[in-house]
Amino acid sequence: MSTTFAIEATDLVKTYGTGDTTVRALDHASLSIRRGRFTAIMGPSGSGKSTMMHAMAGLDTVDSGSIRLGETELVGMSEKQRTLLRRTHVGFIFQQYNLVPALTAEENIALPLRLAGQKVDKDWMLELAATLGIADRLTHRPSELSGGQQQRVAVARALISRPEVVFADEPTGALDSRSSQALLAFLRRAASELWQTIVMVTHDPSAAAYADRVEFLSDGEVIDGHDNPTAATVLERMARFDAERQGVAA
Amino acid sequence: MIRFAFAQVLAHRLRLALTVVAVMLGVAFVTGSLVLNDTAQKLFDDQFATASAGADVTVRTATAFDSGMGVEVERDPLPAATLDSVRDVDAVTDAVPVAKGAARLEQGTTDLGSVQLSTWVDEPVGAYPLRDGAAPTSDGEIVIDKNTADALGLRIGDAVTVVGDTRVDARVVGLVGFGDGDGPPVGAVALSTLTTAQSVLGLGDGLSEILVTSELTAGELQPLLADVLADDVQVATAQDLAAAGAEQAAANLEMLQVVLIAMSVAALIIGAFLIANTFAIVISQRTRELAVIRATGATGKQVLASVLVEALLVGALASTVGVLLGIVSTYGLRALAGVFGVSIPSGELVIETRTVIIALTVGVLVTLVSAVGPARRAAAVSPLAAMRSSAAETRGLGRGRLITGTVLLVAGSAVAALPGVAAGPVLLLGAGLVLALVGVVMIAPSALRPLVSLVGAASARTVPGQLAREAALRAPRRTSATVMALAFGLALMSFVSIVGGSVKAATGEQYREVIAADVVIESAGQEMLGGVHAAVYDEVRDVPAVGVATRLKYGHWKDGKTTSALTGLDPELITEVAQIRMVDGDIAALSAGGVVIAERVATERELAVCVELPMTFARLGETTLPIVGIIADGPAQALQTDFFVSLDTYGDLFTEDMDASIFVLAAAGTSPAELSTALETALEDHPTVQVRDQAAVIAGRTQTVDQIFGLVTVLLAFAMVIAVLGIANTLALSIVERTREIGVLRSVGMSRRSVALMVQAEAVIVSVVAVITGLLLGIAASVAAIGALSTIAPLRMEVPVAQLAVLAGVVAVAGLLAGIAPAARAAKLPVLEAIAHA
Repeated sequence: MSTTFAIEATDLVKTYGTGDTTVRALDHASLSIRRGRFTAIMGPSGSGKSTMMHAMAGLDTVDSGSIRLGETELVGMSEKQRTLLRRTHVGFIFQQYNLVPALTAEENIALPLRLAGQKVDKDWMLELAATLGIADRLTHRPSELSGGQQQRVAVARALISRPEVVFADEPTGALDSRSSQALLAFLRRAASELWQTIVMVTHDPSAAAYADRVEFLSDGEVIDGHDNPTAATVLERMARFDAERQGVAA
Repeated sequence: MIRFAFAQVLAHRLRLALTVVAVMLGVAFVTGSLVLNDTAQKLFDDQFATASAGADVTVRTATAFDSGMGVEVERDPLPAATLDSVRDVDAVTDAVPVAKGAARLEQGTTDLGSVQLSTWVDEPVGAYPLRDGAAPTSDGEIVIDKNTADALGLRIGDAVTVVGDTRVDARVVGLVGFGDGDGPPVGAVALSTLTTAQSVLGLGDGLSEILVTSELTAGELQPLLADVLADDVQVATAQDLAAAGAEQAAANLEMLQVVLIAMSVAALIIGAFLIANTFAIVISQRTRELAVIRATGATGKQVLASVLVEALLVGALASTVGVLLGIVSTYGLRALAGVFGVSIPSGELVIETRTVIIALTVGVLVTLVSAVGPARRAAAVSPLAAMRSSAAETRGLGRGRLITGTVLLVAGSAVAALPGVAAGPVLLLGAGLVLALVGVVMIAPSALRPLVSLVGAASARTVPGQLAREAALRAPRRTSATVMALAFGLALMSFVSIVGGSVKAATGEQYREVIAADVVIESAGQEMLGGVHAAVYDEVRDVPAVGVATRLKYGHWKDGKTTSALTGLDPELITEVAQIRMVDGDIAALSAGGVVIAERVATERELAVCVELPMTFARLGETTLPIVGIIADGPAQALQTDFFVSLDTYGDLFTEDMDASIFVLAAAGTSPAELSTALETALEDHPTVQVRDQAAVIAGRTQTVDQIFGLVTVLLAFAMVIAVLGIANTLALSIVERTREIGVLRSVGMSRRSVALMVQAEAVIVSVVAVITGLLLGIAASVAAIGALSTIAPLRMEVPVAQLAVLAGVVAVAGLLAGIAPAARAAKLPVLEAIAHA
């Protein structure tokens, strides 16, 4: 039993297609996510970082390996078990804010709890809304909100159930730089002040700089990682990658 | 752009499949109706033409008109001497005497049904070629048509009894065909020698007609014969006879024709909703693509044209298939009509070019017109839409549309109500209802919103329910078109059910109020003029349980251009078996001759007692009868006609000697049940005569209403199946639109079951709203219709609650079923791909 790690993914293998067209998205990848920390996952397109995140979040299955989310083994779970797990143990932030257009901001935030049939902690909802600066927008529909506001609603939705882990998939991809910085700063605070475990997939070194740790994926493997990244260390590491890859290619 | 339209049709073939089915069904209905009509018409024509083709001219008693309400009038027999007069004409090659009339066949104690008994005439003058056995050469021998023999299981050598005025035992000696077929398209035929026919039919030595052949043409022969024959003898050519037959056929088919055409229109309207819906959805899905096309330089007009060409392609394809389907389905329709008691002759189908042209045009036009709205919306897509991430339907309805719709609805309702309120012409009813319907369709997207919201509120306590309600509200046009397709079908069914139920209730009520007779003796058959043999009356009077028995006879006469019916009754006895309420004069005055008319007729034509009413009778031609009384409408309707004469007067006017019915009161101390039993025993020899109590008589009189309701319900059921498929289609497409939303819901923890529940809930909301809307529309239309009809006949709104509940239940369940497939599909969407869905 581990208390230091929120997620321990070991030896994950995931392939798509068969025969000549087989693509190995995860090739014996292992990764541990520290509890209460903000972890960034980086890597070039096709490196398997999204697959890795989807697998850890219970959105997708793997062919083999082990994923422990807290005390729960995800591999081998049925679709239904994973769905129930997602409701309360996992939060999501997508690049396309992906709010439900028919529901108000407040209803969107409360959605995971209502689906689980749990009571919404009103104080927590208001605290989140206040912290995210959307307290006065709660009765609005997504179409009446700006992109930044929509993304903050999505963040609140991810946090409302006090999940084990929040996964963010390129959360700033559709935002302008000011909104991006505000959002990343909030995620940073959620980790350090609220002890919220956050995993973010990004390709932006300056976004990764907000994290406690950065992990690098390439060709379906976790190849490296370091604590307290800055934009400079991330860029430097990525440049080295490219050089290595070109070296291999040559 | 045309090539673009082709590509679109191919790319969206699945989505357009429903459109194709909807158009196809409507076109198939139109084709089927037309083919069925033409076929029946031709078969009837052929029957008359074939029957008279062998003779150049036919000599028969003249009548003032040939047929009334689809029944050929019975003619007086010709004196035997006429045959000699005809033979004396030099130009006549041959003259064959024929006796014919209605008779019945019995085998032992089994009633084999009615036949047309006629005289055997050798071919080619006769129309019945021998198929098997021999021609009847002596008394007591008959031949019957092969179809009837097969149906009844009769074989050559079997003994039967031919029943007419007298009973004659006979042996089947041969089987005949008719023209190329094995029997006439309608009815059964038995042929015997002249003397047998004469004696069965009670003609003495009289003749029904003389078939004449000659070297001369019919036109040359006609005047020669007319010269030597008396004025009351008609010399008819084969063409004249065929023309008279055609008129009769048209009258026979009128009811069916009206029902089928109304159903075709209904199917097309339901189809139109679905077409509009499918195109709207296809286009909303393609918004991005259309915007890209616009951005690359296509004008709005080009986009409009491309969508319309797409509609044209779909319409043409579907109409073509529909025509073929319609031709095939004619067989089914024929069988269906038969099940509900409307008999249509069997024979080769008649497919006129006109039928194909009409059906194709209608199908293509309906598709095009339905696609105009969506096409205009497609043309309005701005190139900028390509840049936006989503293009949900948020645009409200134009106020112009709302106002126009409301005006049409109000004006239509007012016009529809007019006949009921101000006794305007009933034609206004139809026009008003159509106007109001168009109005309803226009305002439906807005008007249904509160209803959808309300019905949805019931389900909104759960997340899937709430989302379902929001989805239905978010696309008002789509929801309203889906709802209206279903609601319209249900409205029609409930309309027929309510109006039919009211008519039935009124008929029964009136009958019970007026008729005091314990028992009514009627023919089991559906003879227009009643099929109770005159001898029955005498036998009834001899039954000790009978207190009062009085006979009624029906006859047809020509009232200007239309054929009307009248009742012959006994003015003294009728008051003992019925409550005859008179507005003016006395029914007893009929004893001295003259006619009593219904109040309605008197008011309409401003007639009063003492006025001479001009009437044309088949035998006597034009004559006048003095009006001696005016009877209230209630009793007139219970006795089924608007004109009444005494039995004596009837005898002067008509040769028919059949009673329509005999009203019987039990003798003192005898219960109606005992009377029934006594009569049934006494009338055992008359298998086609039925002893009916009040309930049975009412049921018999309202049988037609049930027939129409049954036929309409079955036909509409086909249209409803399509409307239900429409729900499934709409949901399936709405799911495609909401793929990403469903992905998000799944990712935040909505289970597959909840997703399925959400889709199912939307189906339920749509069906429930459709049920409510349909019932309201049906009831509203019924109120107007009954209001209008009550100016003609006393009618009160009678809502058959049980029947409507069943209809509503079936529609609701159908809606529920429609949600199953889309719900399963939505639940199966893979989460990740759904989120990634653009």
